[in-house]
Amino acid sequence: MNLRVKLFLLDNVIWLLVIGFFLLNAIFTPSFFTWQNSTNILYHSAIMSMLVLGQGIVIVVKALDLSIESTLAFAPGVAMLICTQWLPWDLPSAVAIVLTLIVGALVGLFNGFFVARVGMNPFIETMSTMIIMRGLVLFLVPFSIFPLAGVYKFAGQARIPGDIPVAVLLMLLVYAVFQFIFGYTAFGRRLIATGGNRQAAFIAGINTTRMIMAAFVLAGLLAAFAGLLTAGRQGSISPSMGINMVLLSFAGAILGGASLDGGKGAPIGFLGGALLLGMFSNALNLRGVEVNLVYAMQGLLIFAAILLDRGREAIRARVLRQEQVARFESTATGAATEV
Amino acid sequence: MASTVAETQGGHAEQAKSTPALVLKDVSKFFPGTIALRNANVEVRRGEVHGIIGKNGAGKSTLVSIIAGLYEATSGTIFINGREIPKLTRAVAQRERVSIVPQDPQVVADFSVAENLFLGHEVTRGRVVDWRGIHRQARATLDRVGLPLDTHIKASDLSVSEQQLVLVVKACYVDAAEIIIFDEASASLTHSDEELLHEIVAERCAAGCTILYISHRVDELLKVCDRVTVLLGGESRETVPCAELDEVSLATLIVGEAFATTQYEAEQKPNDEIVLDVSGLTSAGRYTDVSLQVHRGEVLGIAGLRGSGRTEVLKGIAGIERADSGTVTLAGGEPGLFGHPASALKAGLAYLPEDREHEGLVSTSSVTVNCLLSSLKQVSRFGVMKGRTEKARVREVVRLLDIKVSDISQEVSGLSGGNKQKVIVGRIHEARPSVYLLDEPTRGVDVGSRQAILKIIREKVAAEAGVVMTSPGLDDLLAVCDRIAIMGHGRMVDIVERSAFDETRLYVAVQSASAAAVRTGQDKRGMEE
Repeated sequence: MNLRVKLFLLDNVIWLLVIGFFLLNAIFTPSFFTWQNSTNILYHSAIMSMLVLGQGIVIVVKALDLSIESTLAFAPGVAMLICTQWLPWDLPSAVAIVLTLIVGALVGLFNGFFVARVGMNPFIETMSTMIIMRGLVLFLVPFSIFPLAGVYKFAGQARIPGDIPVAVLLMLLVYAVFQFIFGYTAFGRRLIATGGNRQAAFIAGINTTRMIMAAFVLAGLLAAFAGLLTAGRQGSISPSMGINMVLLSFAGAILGGASLDGGKGAPIGFLGGALLLGMFSNALNLRGVEVNLVYAMQGLLIFAAILLDRGREAIRARVLRQEQVARFESTATGAATEV
Repeated sequence: MASTVAETQGGHAEQAKSTPALVLKDVSKFFPGTIALRNANVEVRRGEVHGIIGKNGAGKSTLVSIIAGLYEATSGTIFINGREIPKLTRAVAQRERVSIVPQDPQVVADFSVAENLFLGHEVTRGRVVDWRGIHRQARATLDRVGLPLDTHIKASDLSVSEQQLVLVVKACYVDAAEIIIFDEASASLTHSDEELLHEIVAERCAAGCTILYISHRVDELLKVCDRVTVLLGGESRETVPCAELDEVSLATLIVGEAFATTQYEAEQKPNDEIVLDVSGLTSAGRYTDVSLQVHRGEVLGIAGLRGSGRTEVLKGIAGIERADSGTVTLAGGEPGLFGHPASALKAGLAYLPEDREHEGLVSTSSVTVNCLLSSLKQVSRFGVMKGRTEKARVREVVRLLDIKVSDISQEVSGLSGGNKQKVIVGRIHEARPSVYLLDEPTRGVDVGSRQAILKIIREKVAAEAGVVMTSPGLDDLLAVCDRIAIMGHGRMVDIVERSAFDETRLYVAVQSASAAAVRTGQDKRGMEE
């Protein structure tokens, strides 16, 4: 097989898994292969997919962000409190949407500043902000906030004709935008180069500190957007939104082609990772697997993801090595015949 | 076949005097792509101080690493005390009482001086570590040498020079080695610590130990050694008693016959326009008062040993590690200092890092991405990459520098060392700077690529820009430079014009610069006071 084909398959192994898993369940799992269940999977994947994308971007710059699952509740919570309670007058829901995203971006900026500029370890730093925000949101929003205005629920709840959820369209739109950013912009290049080799990127004249901060800001923004979708879907803002989701976001990103060594991965793969996670729990639910067991099996999926990450690197190294040896031998015999 | 040692006890003592302590017979070492050592023959007599000297890449470190059991020889036989050692591993070497003091001090940073000294020799009472005993013994050992270090102090709190001395003391007195190898141990020592090292060597030698002394410095070897073996291009040349040598004759042996290296001379004389003017650049503890000027079309070489400050100066100029004081002026620019490589690049100054893998390449990305990393602005509009322009420019670079790739979207990690280096040269070239700082551009590339890169530097890079390049050896610099500046201990000692190039004299100058710079620096300070 051609080297480039091999590497292409290796980098996009996630879509093979997605398709394989889908076909397998289409045959063996009852009521899996229906239009309704398929859109349902997409709808349920929309929220997770935003976290996976945010996590993926941060992993690309060789960091990680545990706090996104708390941002998911913190950003809409704070935005809604500002709009409905903290000010002497109420602000319209459209403003609440913008505020939600701004709060998410600011949380990302905070994380990014302390990781990239101050040099704190991303694991510890984002773990602390994860706990801080969860504590604050439990304190500030002891009971769920509801009802929410229609505008605020639109993204999470509305459907267009054909029973297609708006959330799914938004998911595809966001992924398309980020795929473009990664593949076709100078910013995307800088981001990937920073993760691939920070010192080399720095010497090549890239402001790597700013790139890492930008990655955290995007992760915060996407987490806030995920919060918007969650709140819209359940029609309320509850303090427990997002709990335990961050670990699966790692699984999605790594299954989707991100490498913990940084500099690898693209949104198209992360989408595959998110969809696989969504299909996985959907299929297990349909088969009536007990909910705690589903949780355990998701843990297994994370394990598999990291194993895949290592395996992928090993296979990649071996494929490249084989290629090198082959080329060396061909030039050696070439030289011999010349002599 | 090798057991020439007599079996009886009396015979043993008799034999011990006459059998050489160490014999290497036709020892070779191949690394993938290079031959580090080719049929080297060395005979070290018991109780002598035996020097090993040679240019960079002559095989000095490989040779001693084989003796110390760190590398396994590809072929050849090794005799220690007259017995053939079929498989010389580190453990075997230790059993044969061979000890090595490596080039860079490798202490356990978090351990005390005493713990470092007795690492691998647990001093215990019963099953418990005898801390008092360790410190008492350490104290006694250090006093014996005359090294006034507190045994409780952590190794990380010592200077590099002191760390090195601790390792010297460990090898000489704690490990009780009979054959002691010093692999450029004096390179990281201060002047007074170096004196102490020489005293220790003399004392150990008198006590019957055999010493292998590797150094870059001609004057030091002549002072310390009884005999020296000269290595050249991985082969052992001759072993000569030091009494028959002086600095110039030894340097001539090291440099070898003036074999014709390809010279790449400038087609036209560098013009008068100064593209880079560095004045009084200083960074505390790294380099002092470095001034240099580069003209358009000129290649200026900086020669200096490891630790001379050549890399640090280039990084200071490029804004990667900001200097404390001094100014850098580019043609048509204001004098100042760059605080970030991005601003240096914008002003027209690009740096090629010596450490290709860690500082040069994004190895998980493609040739295209790496080639254009420093010129993203030129190949994008409103932040969006111009796909066709991008590909065209990369193809042009690949053609210009003759980079061997199967496809421009290929990952750079699959390229050979020389081609990787060309990709970085290409990246810098694409930024179209007026000044290139090339830090060891031929490091770790094979002979063919080396020639190609030197040719590129002379003919393509220097054509419309000014170049500063460094090299650990002189060969590259002699081949392409218009002038060579000599650095030692962070100071610019001398600048030699091409018309006055002479490898032997330059070699001596570079070696002695490291020692001389300190002394003249001290003299100057004295005069100012």
